[in-house]
Amino acid sequence: MTRPARGLNRRHFALALPSTLLTAGCAAPHRGTGRPGDPIVLTLLSHYSSGALKKALQDPVDEWNATHDRVKVRNVAVEFTDLLTTFMVRQAAGQGADIIQPYCLWTGQLVRAGVLRPAPPEHAEEIRRGYSAAAVGAASVENRVYGYPTEAQTYALYYNARLLRAAGVGGPPRTWPELEAAAHRTTRRDRYGNTLVQGFGLSVYDDSTTVGQTLALLNAAGGTFVSPDGRGTAIDSPAGRSVFELEHRLVTGGASAPGVNVYQAFPSGRVAMVISAGWWTGSLKPLMGADYREVGVVPVPVPRAGDRPATLSTGFLLGVNTASEHPREAWEFLRWLNAERTGARGVTRMSALQVSVGSLTGRADDMRALLGRGGDPNLRPFLDALAYAVPEPNVPGAQRAKTLLRANIEALWTGQQSVGEALRTTRRQVDQEVARPW
Amino acid sequence: MVNTLAPERAERPASRLRPSGPVLAARARRRQTVVGYLFLAPALLFFAVFLVLPLGFALLLSVSRWTGFDLGDIRPVGTDNFTALFAAGSTFLTPVLTNTVLFALGTVVIALAGSVLVATCIDRLRFQGLWRTLYFLPMVTTVVAVGNVWKYMYEPGGLVDGVLNALGLGSVAFLQDPHTALPAVVVVQAWASVGSAVLVLTAGLKSIPRSYHEAAALDGAGPVTVFLRITLPLLRPSLLFVCVTQFLTGLQSFALITVMTKGGPGDATAVAALEMYRQAFSYGDWGTASAAAFVLFVVVLVITLVQLWVFRRKGEDA
Repeated sequence: MTRPARGLNRRHFALALPSTLLTAGCAAPHRGTGRPGDPIVLTLLSHYSSGALKKALQDPVDEWNATHDRVKVRNVAVEFTDLLTTFMVRQAAGQGADIIQPYCLWTGQLVRAGVLRPAPPEHAEEIRRGYSAAAVGAASVENRVYGYPTEAQTYALYYNARLLRAAGVGGPPRTWPELEAAAHRTTRRDRYGNTLVQGFGLSVYDDSTTVGQTLALLNAAGGTFVSPDGRGTAIDSPAGRSVFELEHRLVTGGASAPGVNVYQAFPSGRVAMVISAGWWTGSLKPLMGADYREVGVVPVPVPRAGDRPATLSTGFLLGVNTASEHPREAWEFLRWLNAERTGARGVTRMSALQVSVGSLTGRADDMRALLGRGGDPNLRPFLDALAYAVPEPNVPGAQRAKTLLRANIEALWTGQQSVGEALRTTRRQVDQEVARPW
Repeated sequence: MVNTLAPERAERPASRLRPSGPVLAARARRRQTVVGYLFLAPALLFFAVFLVLPLGFALLLSVSRWTGFDLGDIRPVGTDNFTALFAAGSTFLTPVLTNTVLFALGTVVIALAGSVLVATCIDRLRFQGLWRTLYFLPMVTTVVAVGNVWKYMYEPGGLVDGVLNALGLGSVAFLQDPHTALPAVVVVQAWASVGSAVLVLTAGLKSIPRSYHEAAALDGAGPVTVFLRITLPLLRPSLLFVCVTQFLTGLQSFALITVMTKGGPGDATAVAALEMYRQAFSYGDWGTASAAAFVLFVVVLVITLVQLWVFRRKGEDA
């Protein structure tokens, strides 16, 4: 009688052990109730995973945790390259973070997938009131705000004053004809055709570089990548044609060498001018040391003197997951971090955080207060650009559209396509993508 | 020993309590079967969790639309994903699938030719173990390191251009020119694959009896004739193995291309695995990614079957 009983127990044990382990592994971590002694724990998933960025975000999180008993925040960070994948995997596994910090390009994709919760009216109002139009636009889909904009990146023209002087160029270009002339004058090659100095740095380094440079010029020419209703591309336009023609002339004329990595070549004095975002100043300073004195920044040149300035802006937002069990607490934390003013300068914690790592937020007043005295003068053009920048399109399918645009720009630069073919192919492929039913 | 004194009736209940021989044997067999399955269970469970389940899930996704976030949001779309892959204007057939096949083909041709040459040379050298180790080193080096080192060598004004310039030739933008980008990456993949192929082929060469070569030499056959008529035919099983495995690796290549070109310039080096990754993880289009995976599976299967058929047919003819 005892033998079968023991066998049964073993069998039960053999079944129970893996089941328990499986359940324990799949179960969501305890997130608290908010009662005394059992605080609610919110998870914040960002890409501030290393060095100064990680510390910059951890400091205000620690401050919140020290001053709030009912709600605590746990900071989780992954590399930017793993961010979207991490959102997907955690969400599909039912373990999505309460607060997420997506790149604004993904906003439409995340809204379509039902991941981002729209901002409650009082927060949406606060965001619309406190931030630049470009920052609000980047954090919105179909005029609905989905989070607090965090860092805002605008694009401007970096130039190496020493290389311009050496080529006899009086100052940085303000218009496209000046840009072309300066690019050709500063370009130098050896007898084998190797580029010694690239006049104007066009680069195939990655999506953001290739597309960012082109869209900044497109916006400066008065064009946009996506139509206002988000249902098609608007690049096959006179403005789009003029940008593609300008880039084609620069490449075929030898003033641009897209194969060169501008992020290495510019700091080492091998690129005279390049369009890039504001975050780069923070990297250039330690990289170039004393040579950084020769670096200047001006607004993206416009086609003709007197044209209205415009450029591209990109950024990130902090939003609340639809799967969060404590959305009210999450939004309250975000308001505290992004909208509550603190310190002697009366700026938000997020603005202070971003400036401490050489970046900007879309709060122009905070930026002026923080950069007013002793700041890097090269950040000023990026700050000014917040007033006129055009947000990067964030419609569903924006990431795919960006990659398609990049492939066609590269095909243009490498002579695989003519200007007309590149424009037509981009229009056809992107229209097909953004019109896809989901 | 039989107890003749025991009453006959008493034996019947006893026979009911104690099972007879065949019943016992059947029980023992059943127990052995259960024990056998219990031993197999971990492997079967692993196989089910990591192969059958993902395969079934991928099959489901290939006929559905899913953004990758919510498992409750998988919507069936029939064969739409497959149709979209081959629709007019889609880049999947050309250049993506074409690049994939060209990449694999180029890799196999260069790696096979190179490894046959190297293995034949090593077979005639002293310190064969050392040479095999040297050629195998790229295999134990991470693809990311290999890709980055070659990328720097290919950079405009890099080492390869330096050599060309020293020979009086002009510079070539290997990875930036759409005409040279794919061949440049193929060379790296082939270089990295030669080590394992050499290992297999040297083992194959060792298994060819010396007496065959000696007999051919006595009959007046030169080294080229011996190589073409004796060595290569007898090396066929090893060549088949190398050819099939290299082709499979080439068709599924992802890491090297991601490190060196990210599929560019334009779509010049875009391959199927990279496209699948982008569709799923960047664009949130898991349906298209899964459909592409099944198309690639069919391509791999067909090419492998053709290779096996060609080699076997030649084997019968020989």
